[in-house]
Amino acid sequence: MTVLRRGLIACGLALALGVSTAACGSNGDPPSTSDQTDGQVTISVMGLPPATNAESRQAFLDQVAAFEKANPDIKIKPSDAPWDVKTFAAKMAGGRAETVLKIPLTEPPGLIERKQVADITVEAKKLPEFASFDPKVMEILSSEGKVYGLPESIYALGLVYNRKLFTQAGLDPDDPPDTWEEFRHAADQIAEKTGKIGYGALTTNNSGGWHLTAMTYANGGTMQDLVDGKPTATFNNAPTLEALKLLHDMRFVDDSMGTQQLRKGEDASPAFAAGEIGMWINAPQAYNSYITLFKGDPADFGAASLPQGGGDGTLAGGTVLMVTAKASDAERAAAVKWIEYSSILPSYDTAAAVTVAKARAADKLPVGVPVLPVFDQATVDKVDAAIKPYVNVPTEQFAPYVERTKDLAFVPEPAIAAQDLYAALDPVVQAVLTNKDADPAALLAAAEDQVNAILRRQ
Amino acid sequence: MRTTTSTVPAGDVMPAGRDVTADRTGGAKAPRGPRRGIGGWQTNLAALVFLLPALVLFGYFSWWPILSSVILGFQQTNLVEPAIWVGWENFQRLFADPVLPIAVRNTLWFAALSLAIGFPVPVLLAVFMSEVRRFGGLFRVLVYLPVVVPPVVSVLLWKWFYNPDAGLFNQVLGLVGLGPFPWLQDSGWAMPSLVLEATWAGAGGAVLIYLAALSGVSTELYEAAEIDGASVWRRVWHVMLPQIRGVLLLMLLLQVIGVFQVFTEPFVMTDGGPSNATVTVLLLIYRYAFLFGDYGTAAALSVLLALVLAVLSAIYLRLTKRWGSQ
Repeated sequence: MTVLRRGLIACGLALALGVSTAACGSNGDPPSTSDQTDGQVTISVMGLPPATNAESRQAFLDQVAAFEKANPDIKIKPSDAPWDVKTFAAKMAGGRAETVLKIPLTEPPGLIERKQVADITVEAKKLPEFASFDPKVMEILSSEGKVYGLPESIYALGLVYNRKLFTQAGLDPDDPPDTWEEFRHAADQIAEKTGKIGYGALTTNNSGGWHLTAMTYANGGTMQDLVDGKPTATFNNAPTLEALKLLHDMRFVDDSMGTQQLRKGEDASPAFAAGEIGMWINAPQAYNSYITLFKGDPADFGAASLPQGGGDGTLAGGTVLMVTAKASDAERAAAVKWIEYSSILPSYDTAAAVTVAKARAADKLPVGVPVLPVFDQATVDKVDAAIKPYVNVPTEQFAPYVERTKDLAFVPEPAIAAQDLYAALDPVVQAVLTNKDADPAALLAAAEDQVNAILRRQ
Repeated sequence: MRTTTSTVPAGDVMPAGRDVTADRTGGAKAPRGPRRGIGGWQTNLAALVFLLPALVLFGYFSWWPILSSVILGFQQTNLVEPAIWVGWENFQRLFADPVLPIAVRNTLWFAALSLAIGFPVPVLLAVFMSEVRRFGGLFRVLVYLPVVVPPVVSVLLWKWFYNPDAGLFNQVLGLVGLGPFPWLQDSGWAMPSLVLEATWAGAGGAVLIYLAALSGVSTELYEAAEIDGASVWRRVWHVMLPQIRGVLLLMLLLQVIGVFQVFTEPFVMTDGGPSNATVTVLLLIYRYAFLFGDYGTAAALSVLLALVLAVLSAIYLRLTKRWGSQ
C-alpha cells in the first residue's frame, strides 16, 4: 500500500468520524517528521512541557539550545503534544508523529511488531552507558536481538496521600496503610472526619484497568499469561475479584469514595493538590505536577508503597524513548544523540546530572523525587551523591514509599495489548463504583472473554 | 463534529427549502436545461470544465476516501504495512464483540430520548416565540447563543454542571430540597443527561428554522380562527402546526439521521461510561480505530452505520420528493 493511499484512508476514516480533513496531508506525502538540508538534520522531539508549566518548559528549551550549540549540524523542533492513548495510534498511522517518541512502557511491543519504530541497535550500542542499562528494561525495548528504544524513567506504583487530611482524620501521616484493610480504614476515617474523598479512584481513559491491574498484582494475581504458548487473559481470578469487592464496599458500604466516579488522572491531580482527595494510586513522580502545575503544598504530600493483599508486588511502568520508523539514517543518529543528551546522561553522568539538578533547583522545580533506577546500583549511588546538595523535595515524606517499595516485586504491565486490556476493564471498575448491585464475577468473566478475543488477533 | 438532537447542518436543510420553494411556483415542471443541438456539446464541455475543480476536489477528498473506507472494511491493516484482504472476517469479529449490541442499544436509546425531548422542545420554543409580541429578538439571541459556543466547550461546561458534589445543578436543586442526583455517575441517568445537554446545545438552530416556517403561515388563517373564537391552543394545534407539517417531518427525519451519529457528548463527557452505559456506535468505531488500532473493523462498522443511515436518507429523499410534487 502506498503512502498516498494510506493517507487517503486515514482521511477517509476521519471523514467517516466527522473529523475535519484539515489535519490530513493533502500533497500525497505525509509531512515529514523531520528534514535534512545543507548537511544539517532537523528532528522533532516529544517532551516539551506545556506552556502552563513555564519553568519546566524554559528548562527544556534551554536544554535544546545547549544541545544545538554542542551539535551545530542538528536542529531540534520540540513538541509539547503529550502521549495520549486516544490520539497516539492515529498520529502514528497518519505519519504525524515526532522523530523522537516519548511514550509509556506499554507501547513498545505493539510499535515494534507493527514496524512503526526504528531499529536503533547500531546507534544505541555505541553509547558508552549502554552496557549499564537494566537488562529487564531493555528486554521490553528489544526484539529478536535488535534494540528499538531506550528507557527514560521507570516507576513503581504506590499510594499518594494528603498528610494534612491524614492528621485531621486522626491517622498517623508517617505510618500510611500497608494493607488493603488499613487502606480501607484510612479512607473511611478521612471521609468521616473531614468530609473529603477518602480514596479517589481513576476509572476512565484506561486508568481504571491500569489501577485494577496494580491492585491485582498486590493481591498476588496476574492479568495475562501464556497458555499453550498463546497470550491469554487471566484476570478472572480471586485477586482481581477481591480488589473489585474492596472498591465496591468502600463505595457503597463505607461511602468513602465520594459520588464522582468518572475520573481520569487529569481530574484527580488538581483535586488532590486542592486537598479534596485523601489518597489515590500513583507514583511519587506525581509530586512534580503537584508542585509545578497545581501549586500544592509540599508539606501535605505523602508517598507510600502500594497497599498489599498477599502478593508483595506492584505494577512497574515507565517512560521510554523511541525513534519513528520514518527517520532517515542521519535523523536516527541525531535522535539517539538527543535521547542520550536529554534523558540518559542526567541519570548516568554525574556532571550532566549536576547541571540538570542545579538548573531545576534554581527554577524551584523538584529535585530528588525517588525513581526506580534504569542503571545498575553503582551508577545510581554515584549520581545520587552528586546531586544531593540540590535535592529540594521533602525526602522524609517519600520514606514510606522508598523503604517499603524496595521489598516488593516489580511486575511489568501486561506484555501484549496492555491498553486494550485496560480499556476492557474500565467499564468493570466503573460498574462496581456506580452500581450497588453490580456482579463483579460476571463482569470479570465477560471482560476476560472480550480481552481473549483481542489477544487471539495479536 | 457536532451531533445535535434537534437541528441539522444548514447545508442539509437548504436543499429541502429549495424543494419547498420550487413547489410554491405552482408545481410547474422544472425549466429545461440548455437546448441540445448546435453548440450543445460546447456548452456541456464548458460546464464540465467549470465543474471539474469541484469534481476533482470532491472525488479526492470525499468520494475516494469513502470508497477506500469500504475496501478497508474487508482488510486488515495498521496503515503501515501492506493491507491484507480478510473478506468478511472484520464483520465476523464485529458481531462477536459483546460491546456492539450495547452500543447499538445505547444509540437507539439516545435517538429515542432525543426525539422525545429534543424534538418537541424547539417546536414549543418556536411557537412561544412566534406568539410573543415583545423581546422576540432577544429570545432569538438567547436561544441561538448555545449554538455558537464551540461544542467541546459546551460539553465540558455541562460536565461541570453535572458534577454530583459541586456542580451547578445539584447546588441549585439542593436549594429547593431536591437531589443530589447522580447525573453522569449512574448508568440509568447518564444517557438522559447527555440528551439534555445536546438539546440545549442544538435547539437554537431548529428554533430558527421553525420560526422561519411559522412566518410563512398566512395571518388570514389566524384571523379567521380568532373570529371563530378559537383559543391560542386551538390556533396552534389546528392552524399553525398543520401549516408547518412538512418542515416538522423533515426536521424529524434529519434529526434521526443526526442522532445516530452521536459522538462528542459521550466522548468528552463520559468516555462511554459508566460501565458502557453511553458507548455509542460512533464511539465504538473511534475506539476500534484509534484506541485498538484495528482500522479494518472500524471501517466495517462504519460501513454498517453508513448503510443504516443510507436507508434513513432514502426515506428522507423519498418523502421530500413526495412533498415536493404535492
